[in-house]
Amino acid sequence: MAICQFFLQGRCRFGDRCWNEHPGARGAGGGRQQPQQQPSGNNRRGWNTTSQRYSNVIQPSSFSKSTPWGGSRDQEKPYFSSFDSGASTNRKEGFGLSENPFASLSPDEQKDEKKLLEGIVKDMEVWESSGQWMFSVYSPVKKKPNISGFTDISPEELRLEYHNFLTSNNLQSYLNSVQRLINQWRNRVNELKSLNISTKLSDVKDGVNQAAPAFGFGSSQAATFMSPGFPVNNSSSDNAQNFSFKTNSGFAAASSGSPAGFGSSPAFGAAASTSSGISTSAPAFGFGKPEVTSAASFSFKSPAASSFGSPGFSGLPASLATGPVRAPVAPAFGGGSSVAGFGSPGSHSHTAFSKPSSDTFGNSSISTSLSASSSIIATDNVLFTPRDKLTVEELEQFQSKKFTLGKIPLKPPPLELLNV
Amino acid sequence: MSLFGTTSGFGTSGTSMFGSATTDNHNPMKDIEVTSSPDDSIGCLSFSPPTLPGNFLIAGSWANDVRCWEVQDSGQTIPKAQQMHTGPVLDVCWSDDGSKVFTASCDKTAKMWDLSSNQAIQIAQHDAPVKTIHWIKAPNYSCVMTGSWDKTLKFWDTRSSNPMMVLQLPERCYCADVIYPMAVVATAERGLIVYQLENQPSEFRRIESPLKHQHRCVAIFKDKQNKPTGFALGSIEGRVAIHYINPPNPAKDNFTFKCHRSNGTNTSAPQDIYAVNGIAFHPVHGTLATVGSDGRFSFWDKDARTKLKTSEQLDQPISACCFNHNGNIFAYASSYDWSKVRTPGPALGAPRQQSQALGSEGLGLSCDSSQDSRVSLGRSPSPPCKGKLQDFLKWLWGFSTAFGQNPAHRKCSASVSHYGLLCSWAQKHRQAGGCTL
Repeated sequence: MAICQFFLQGRCRFGDRCWNEHPGARGAGGGRQQPQQQPSGNNRRGWNTTSQRYSNVIQPSSFSKSTPWGGSRDQEKPYFSSFDSGASTNRKEGFGLSENPFASLSPDEQKDEKKLLEGIVKDMEVWESSGQWMFSVYSPVKKKPNISGFTDISPEELRLEYHNFLTSNNLQSYLNSVQRLINQWRNRVNELKSLNISTKLSDVKDGVNQAAPAFGFGSSQAATFMSPGFPVNNSSSDNAQNFSFKTNSGFAAASSGSPAGFGSSPAFGAAASTSSGISTSAPAFGFGKPEVTSAASFSFKSPAASSFGSPGFSGLPASLATGPVRAPVAPAFGGGSSVAGFGSPGSHSHTAFSKPSSDTFGNSSISTSLSASSSIIATDNVLFTPRDKLTVEELEQFQSKKFTLGKIPLKPPPLELLNV
Repeated sequence: MSLFGTTSGFGTSGTSMFGSATTDNHNPMKDIEVTSSPDDSIGCLSFSPPTLPGNFLIAGSWANDVRCWEVQDSGQTIPKAQQMHTGPVLDVCWSDDGSKVFTASCDKTAKMWDLSSNQAIQIAQHDAPVKTIHWIKAPNYSCVMTGSWDKTLKFWDTRSSNPMMVLQLPERCYCADVIYPMAVVATAERGLIVYQLENQPSEFRRIESPLKHQHRCVAIFKDKQNKPTGFALGSIEGRVAIHYINPPNPAKDNFTFKCHRSNGTNTSAPQDIYAVNGIAFHPVHGTLATVGSDGRFSFWDKDARTKLKTSEQLDQPISACCFNHNGNIFAYASSYDWSKVRTPGPALGAPRQQSQALGSEGLGLSCDSSQDSRVSLGRSPSPPCKGKLQDFLKWLWGFSTAFGQNPAHRKCSASVSHYGLLCSWAQKHRQAGGCTL
C-alpha cells in the first residue's frame, strides 16, 4: 500500500478508513476494528499517532527516557476531542516539545500525556494484580524505550542465583535479596501508579536519573550476588535505546529494504550500525569480493582484502585493520557500553559520506562528492585508497565507465583514477 | 507460606487440588508420560531431525543432566543415554545429521555429545551461562551458535576452541531460534535482533520489540515455500507477538495475541497473567503451540488468527515443548519454572523441597523425592479444525508411568497436594523455623 502523505503530515481526513498505509499508526494492534468515527475524530487520532510517530523518527535521541507520546498500544480508545482544527501550530509545538521536553505543554499534548499515563497506571495495576513475573522491563508503548526503575531478570537467572546460594549454604541472603528486589519493584510500581499530569514527565525522567537501585544480580556467582555487577537499568536502557533509535536513524534506508539493499551505499549506514554491535565487523566493510548477493556477504577465506576498507571509512582503531578475521576482536569494540560511543561518530561520518556517494556511484564521478565530504574525513588515506591496496576487481570497477551492481567497491577510489 | 496453591496466580485448579485427595492433575490430558524423567525442572526439549530414523527426544534439566529417550511409534519411551554437565542445562539441539547433540549449560560451556560413542566434549566457552545453542548448516559452512548471558553470540566450529565469530548483543541473550538462513535473538531489555546467515552470520536488522515486557521465548516460522519469513515472540506477560520480517503491510500483518491468562476474554475482572515459556511451530501445518506457566498448552493458527485448542490445566507450569520432525508428536515438560516469586514469603520462588541432586543435606533440609518433573507426549493435532476439539482429544495417547517420584506422595493426605511439596515443607518447618525454602 502507498504511504499516506496526509497522515505523515498529520492531517489525514480518513484516519483508519484511509486506503493508504499509515505507518506506525496502530502498532501491532492488527485485526482489531476501529469504530467508525467522524472524520474530525479520526483526524485527531491521526494527529496523536502522527506526533508519536514523528517523535520516533525525527527526534529519537530526545526520547531517551521519557515523553511517552501518543496512547498506549492496547488502549485504542478514541482520543479526546480537544484538538483544535487549526492545530498546525499545535503540531509544531508538538515538535518543539519533542525537542525540548521540558517546555511547557499545550493542552492538547497534555491530553496525550494523560492518555499515556492512564495507560501506564492501568498496566501497573494489572501487573500487580495478575501475578505475572515482576522482574521485567516495561515500556508503555511498543516503540518507546523501557521505563526506568525496572530491571530484567529472567526466571532462569533468578533460579541460578538460588542454586548458587544453595551450594554456599547461604540461602538467607538469597531470600533477602529477592525480598529487596520485590520491594523495589513494588515501590516503583506504586510510584508509577500514582502518576498524574503534573508529575508525569519530570517523574518519569527523574526516575531515570535516580540510579536504579543496585539490584546486584551480577553474574551467577554466589559471592557477587550483592555486587553492582548487574547492569543497572540506566546504563542498560541507555544502550537499548541507543540501539533501538540509532537504528532508526541509521537504518532508515536499509531497514526498509531487503538484503539486496545492502549491496549499495546504504551499506555504509548499515555497516556502521552493525559494526557497533559486531566486533569482527572489519570483514563486513571490505566488500572486495563481488559475492554481494546477500547482505554483508563476505567470504570467510579472504581476510586480506577486508582489512583495509574499514579503517579508511570509520577511523576505527588501527588494530582492527590488521586483525585477522578469525580472531575474536571483541575488545576492540568494547562491551555494550562502547556501543553508544561508536554509534554516534560512526553514523555521522557514514551518513555524511554515503549520501553524496550514493548519487554518484552510478556515474562513477566520485570526485565532486569526495571533495565535498573531504571536510568530514580529515585524513587523505581515508578519502582515497592507495592504488596498491585495491583488489584487482575493485580496480576494474573503478576503471570502468560504470559500476556494476553487485560489484560496487566499498572503499574509496584511488586518487589517480579520479577525473577532477 | 502462601506460595503454592493459595496465591491468586495459581488459578482455580490449584486450589481445588489442594483440598481433595483424589484429583490428580499432573496429567489431565492423559498423555504419555516419559519414563525416567529428570530429577529437576526440565529446561529444554528437542526431537531428533528427520535424518535419523525413529524419534529420539533429548531433554536438559536443572539437575545438570541431559537425557535421551527413544520414542517408539507405539508411544513407548525407552531411556537411552545420559550426559552430565557441571551446571543446569539450559538448551539442547541436534546436529542436522542426527549424530550429535549440543548442550548448553550454566557452567558457561557447551558440549557436543556424540551419540554413537556416548562421548561428550566441550566445544564452546563463554563468560556467563550459555542460554541458547543452535546448529547452523549452511551450504558453505556449518557451525554451532551459542547465545549467552555475557551478551555475546558466538559461532563455533566444533573442531576449534576459538570461536569462528563473535557478535556482540545489546544485552543478555534470553532466547533464540535458527532456521537457515535466518536467526532471531531476543535479549533482555526487550532487545530483538534478526541475523542473516548466508555466507557468514551477520546482523540483518534490529527490531523494536512488539511486546511491552520481558522476552521469554522465540520461534521462527516459515512461509508456504518453506522459507523462514517471520517469528513468534513470547513474553512473560501472557502475550505472543507474530512478526513478519518483510511483510507487505506491517501494520496489518504483524499482531499480538494474549494467551495463558486465566480469564480469557473477560477483561473486566482482574486476570492472572502467566509467562509464555515456549513456542513451537508444527513443521507441516505451520500452526503454533505455546506453553505457559499456567500449566496449559495451546495450539493456535496464526494465519486464521484463531485459537485451536487449549489443554486442561496441569498442576505445574509447562516449561518446554517441542514437535517431532514430522509433527506427529508433541512433547511438553511439566515442571516448575520459578515463576512464583510473588508474595513475600520464605520460599520466594524456590520450590518447597530439595532434590537430592542439589545436595540439600548440608542445609538441614529434608530430602524427599525430587520435585515432580515430567515430560509428556501427546499426539499433536492434525490439520487445524476449529470447533472440533473432541477430535483432538482422540489423537492423544495415554498411558502413564511413575518416574522419579515417590509414589507415596501421591497418596498423601488431603491437606497435602499431590505436589508432595508440603510433605517436605512440613518436615522442614519442624526444624529450625524461619529459614525455609
